[in-house]
Amino acid sequence: MTVFALIIINKAGGLIYNRTFYEGGLNNLTTNDYLVLAGTFHGVHAITARLNPVPIPGANRNSASSAGTMTRPETPSGLEVLESENFRLQCFTTLTGIKFLLFTDTTQTNVDLTMRRVYEMYTDYVMKNPFYQLEMPVRCDMFERKLLSYIREINNR
Amino acid sequence: MVVYSFYIFDRHTECIYSKSWLPPPSASSADTLPHPQSSHPHHPPTSTQPLPPTAKQSSDNAKLIFGTVFSLRNMVRKLGGLDDAFISYRTAQYKLHYYETASNLRFVMLTDVATLSMRNVLHQIYINLWVEYVVKNPLSPVEHKGGDGVRNELFELGLDQFVRGLM
Repeated sequence: MTVFALIIINKAGGLIYNRTFYEGGLNNLTTNDYLVLAGTFHGVHAITARLNPVPIPGANRNSASSAGTMTRPETPSGLEVLESENFRLQCFTTLTGIKFLLFTDTTQTNVDLTMRRVYEMYTDYVMKNPFYQLEMPVRCDMFERKLLSYIREINNR
Repeated sequence: MVVYSFYIFDRHTECIYSKSWLPPPSASSADTLPHPQSSHPHHPPTSTQPLPPTAKQSSDNAKLIFGTVFSLRNMVRKLGGLDDAFISYRTAQYKLHYYETASNLRFVMLTDVATLSMRNVLHQIYINLWVEYVVKNPLSPVEHKGGDGVRNELFELGLDQFVRGLM
């Protein structure tokens, strides 16, 4: 069970955080490549949400009778899990449009839980940091430390 | 499990075959596609959108699917090394399976989310249907420009039977 890397993409598709936890899991890319990857993924994510072949229950009813209960129709989600021969990519999109990409090995279980914990850390140590500017690269010592120790714990299990 | 649709792309990135097993779209399914733009509550999208998906609409869909799998495949190869292969991705609503042959022929299948890996199924389609009925057909051209030679009776019938057997 190994967590390879974490990438955080802001709502405009810019890379704001990237950290590799395990050498040898993924190829080493330059920062430039990571920026391109973040932008590409952002676009692909939007397309995958549009490709949805199944009608979403409630989406039609709501537009027809706007006078009734004002519930927002569920929007189609974009890519959530990507599988390849060598790794697995889990993507979590927050309500504000920030994407957390967690790269793990193919046998990793309970990625949802890990993702949740990472998101909690982000809210606690990044969003509550008074010096952090929204949409800008994450440079928070506390977040870095807590994240590293948490992931190390998983990787050594 | 449910299979929604199936696509074949050739090495020139052209969609040479596509088939959908979705039930004929009712009013509710026709308005989900243009959903992101239709923000006007006064004009229900059902009145502006023709009910069956037009040929243009489905060809646009095929282009979007190709762009997606092409980008993801390149992303996977960049991250996981040249021997790595993109297998599938899943959203909350559907799952897309991908299989690429050595000659850059790409098979794509959209199913519901509960389906397990369909890689072997796509491989079977390649071996038992594509090679048997398209490649070995003496009347079929080498390049299938515009879907030439793919839409023959045996291939279509075999594919439909095979997929319905899975469901």
